[in-house]
Amino acid sequence: MEKDNILEVKDLHIDIKMMEGTLTPVRGVNFEIKRGETLGLVGESGCGKSITCKSILAINDKKCYPHGEIMFRNEDDSEVDILKMDPKGKEIRNIRGKQISMIFQEPMVAFSPMYTIGNQINECTLLHITKDKKKAKEISMEVMRKVGIANVEKRYNQYPHEFSGGMLQRALIAMALVCNPKLLIADEPTTALDVTIQAQILELMKELQKEFNMAILFITHDLGVVARMCDRVAVMYLGKVVETGDSKTIYANPQHPYTRGLMGSVHKIGGRKDERLFSIEGTVPLAMNLPKQCGFYDRCDARIEGLCDKAEPELVETEPGHKIACFACNNPACQKHRQEVEARLKEEEARGPVEEGGKKRGKR
Amino acid sequence: MEENKLIAFFKRDLVQYIIRRVLMFIPTLLLISILVFFVIQLPPGDYVSAHIAALATEGELVDADYAASMRADYGLDLPVWQQYIKWVKDIIWTPTDSAYYRLYHSHHNWKYSFAYGRDVWSVVNDRLGLTIGVTAIIMLFQYLVSIPIAVYASTHQYSAGDYISAIIGFLGTAIPNFILAIVLMYLSYKWTGNANVGLFTQEMLQNGIHLYNFGDFLKRMIIPIVVIGTSGTCGIIRSVRAQMLDEVAKQYTLTARAKGVSEGKIIMKYCFRAAINPTVSGLGGVLSSLFSGSTVTAMVLNMQIQGPVLYKALQSQDMYLAGAIVMIQAVLVVIGVLFSDIALAFLDPRIRYSGGNR
Amino acid sequence: MAKKKSKEDYYLASQWTLMARKLKKHKLAQASFIILAFLYISALFADFLAPYSLDEFDGLYRNSAPTKIYTIFEDEHVGPHVYKLTKTIDKKTFEVALEPDLSEYYKIEWFVHGSKYKILGLVPCDLHLFGVGEGSKGGTGAKVFLFGADSLGRDIFSRVLLGARISLSIPFASAIISFFLGIAIGSVSGYFGGVLDMIIQRIIEVIGAVPQIPLWMALSAAIPAGISTVKMYFYMTIILSFINWTGMARVVRGKFLSLKNEDYVMAARISGVSTWKIIWKHLVPGFMSYLIVSLTLGIPGSIVGETSMSYLGLGIKSPATSWGVLLQEASSVTDVAANPHKLIPIIFVTITVLAFNFLGDGMRDAADPYK
Repeated sequence: MEKDNILEVKDLHIDIKMMEGTLTPVRGVNFEIKRGETLGLVGESGCGKSITCKSILAINDKKCYPHGEIMFRNEDDSEVDILKMDPKGKEIRNIRGKQISMIFQEPMVAFSPMYTIGNQINECTLLHITKDKKKAKEISMEVMRKVGIANVEKRYNQYPHEFSGGMLQRALIAMALVCNPKLLIADEPTTALDVTIQAQILELMKELQKEFNMAILFITHDLGVVARMCDRVAVMYLGKVVETGDSKTIYANPQHPYTRGLMGSVHKIGGRKDERLFSIEGTVPLAMNLPKQCGFYDRCDARIEGLCDKAEPELVETEPGHKIACFACNNPACQKHRQEVEARLKEEEARGPVEEGGKKRGKR
Repeated sequence: MEENKLIAFFKRDLVQYIIRRVLMFIPTLLLISILVFFVIQLPPGDYVSAHIAALATEGELVDADYAASMRADYGLDLPVWQQYIKWVKDIIWTPTDSAYYRLYHSHHNWKYSFAYGRDVWSVVNDRLGLTIGVTAIIMLFQYLVSIPIAVYASTHQYSAGDYISAIIGFLGTAIPNFILAIVLMYLSYKWTGNANVGLFTQEMLQNGIHLYNFGDFLKRMIIPIVVIGTSGTCGIIRSVRAQMLDEVAKQYTLTARAKGVSEGKIIMKYCFRAAINPTVSGLGGVLSSLFSGSTVTAMVLNMQIQGPVLYKALQSQDMYLAGAIVMIQAVLVVIGVLFSDIALAFLDPRIRYSGGNR
Repeated sequence: MAKKKSKEDYYLASQWTLMARKLKKHKLAQASFIILAFLYISALFADFLAPYSLDEFDGLYRNSAPTKIYTIFEDEHVGPHVYKLTKTIDKKTFEVALEPDLSEYYKIEWFVHGSKYKILGLVPCDLHLFGVGEGSKGGTGAKVFLFGADSLGRDIFSRVLLGARISLSIPFASAIISFFLGIAIGSVSGYFGGVLDMIIQRIIEVIGAVPQIPLWMALSAAIPAGISTVKMYFYMTIILSFINWTGMARVVRGKFLSLKNEDYVMAARISGVSTWKIIWKHLVPGFMSYLIVSLTLGIPGSIVGETSMSYLGLGIKSPATSWGVLLQEASSVTDVAANPHKLIPIIFVTITVLAFNFLGDGMRDAADPYK
């Protein structure tokens, strides 16, 4: 694990056992987060971004079986693998809420309607910071003030249904920040909110990030939000990261056909009036019994017949910090990868049965 | 200053809700009394002729004058609606100078029961305490047994225990109470040589229940508890389990888990707390089914509660007594509903807020 | 292509077809349906299936246990047969006991002539499915009591079958009455709303608050003494419907509240369709499946009600019989302990109630479009 990184996700796979078979929404995801930086995880609905995040806290559904490695730099600077922990055990519970916390998409249902907001925020304080009830309440109220909730003394004793959506999201952020975590996972935190409130919440998160010096893993399908918030971006498609790098680089020069498609589907101020928005044809296929080909093959406008439908490209570094998984991209690293794979395919074809190739792939 | 405090008190949501709920109790009570009066009027012929017929079977002949004076006393010569008003008025307040008061020293005239030869209220009152007591014990048992089972079944969904509780639950709700009573009585007689019928032994009736015979009393409560309690218990298990499963799947459990809250606390603090609400609001229904179930069962098991009294009253068409029993039970159920609604308002902040206008 | 066709069928299928299709997957509900159909058909032809009529009795067979059926007579296979019972007296204890008289056998025969009845109340007939024939030595008077006899020496098997006619049909008839009553009152309440709705809701609440069985019992006081069986039957049906309609009305009202502002209702109203026609033609068919489900789930309660009341002597009375009347025989523990066969009618009540519950549950799942 590199010194700067606080989290490294390595070759993460998640299987969901179902009656109809095994679903694999995550098929080998790799990314890392450095101290204090913001990483945006971008992709369509169903590409596996939410489930990836949940597995970082090991709060996935029982039916999910993650494997791979999720390395986290613990309090004492030691490295721990979250996937090796008992998801109900003490060790992981000491990480949850205290060192990694999470804010959810829909603030309206993220709080229990049965308890006051204060009670639910304070629960976190009492668990991780102090057992002293008076002190805990002070800490919780202080954080509530920080996230911009006015009249905290009154608000502390109110119930979720007495809050507006934006206020609830602030409360949810307060709950996530109360223990001063090193990493905040924000799972589409503004999707359910009005546009004006969205902007406020994003500003708030930026300010708080500076103040608390924490890293943020920002999950979204909104590229505008990414441009505004993130230092780096990882684009996910069908359970894999297809392109990752500095957000500036990627915005200026998107390379992967999928990333290009995503960028093309965003309104630009000053764009031509008669210009039609670009849309990617088709839908994300179901991640079950996937054929051995590039996941984007069916929808790609740059696909190479005879190659993209026979093998899956891997992430290769095209320039420092910028990685792409595509055979069709016109840069030396990708072309080199393409040639390697083509050579291997030819070799396998010469050797005979296709099954062997499958086995070989499996070993990798 | 004091006055302001008082006003503030009445302005609180919860207080307003409770006041509104209590006020709604009055029209309900009125409707119940109309229903019961309807039941009293049902038998062909009037009450006095039934009374006279009952006297005649005992060889006592009644002259026409006496019958006429009785009719006047009961207001049977009035139009029906006036009879109703008189009946309600007599129950609410009978003046001190009335014949009834001089006889029974009570301001609440529930009329006379010829089946028992006493005023109706004293007959009802005899067993009221015991009826409520037995019902309360069974109800307590129901909740004590069913809720832990339901929580277990929901946290261990599709486990063997879950299936077993589901099967027993289905049988429990489907088998009629009194049939279960007959079968258990038979089995008890077969295995122990004692049917354990009746709540008390002769000895208990004479000396009262003390520590030394309390065990025997409990033994006699087993069959009633099982018989009357089973169907309700199974119903509660099914609904609490379903409710728990709903709650466990909700987003806020995930939030709590992400905070680092332990699994046990998530279940108890969050899921159970929310799942228990519908159970609390179902209290009235449970009470109603307990009274319903206990009526026939009490006759099979010869329990000293109100069921057999109602039966005797109906057999001899002693309608004021029968009506009084039905009325008391209905009122108890409505009071139960009232309590559960108020309890729910305390438990569920959303109801307090919306004032119960769900 | 075929696959596409079936998919198309699925989208075009009516609510009923879909329900039937889903019900086919529900094995327990299916089994319950078959059992109920069997019970109802048996009840319909009870006169034929039962070897004896309601008023046939044999004093000798009082409280006798189910008749044993033998196949071998004096080491020879003669087919199913029974023996006549004779009274024996123990010389020491003077206890009377019934012993089979092994000297003569009576074959059980198919289609024997017995008491007269009318098939479905129309065609006179005296044929019974089975019965005891003449004795091997020409004797008469042997009986076959499959479930034993009651305290008057009547065949419990025949009486269970004949009683099923009342026990199974009263709840059914009352369910249908409450069905129409519930739809009528519920739709008025839901469609018109306002004060009328308020009053109806309070009435439903109050009827719901009164414990069912005590109320049923109290209502039974309205039944005049010494009336004919037909009238009795009619009264019982009315009494049971008195409570059951409330549940149906509540379902209907709820559905109306959610449906009455739908566009298609509005459209019908604007084009001048009468209110009743809107209710019956446009609204009710929309939730008929739910009503059928709650109808099915309401029947077990009525069965228990009829059985309990008849058991207490407040409902059907002798000489007519129902399962509740049969269970009166089982009210004394000592009697039951000596003659456990008197508990047999319990099995029928329980099976019927369970079957209706399972069927209703299966139908509820099938009617739920989200399952």
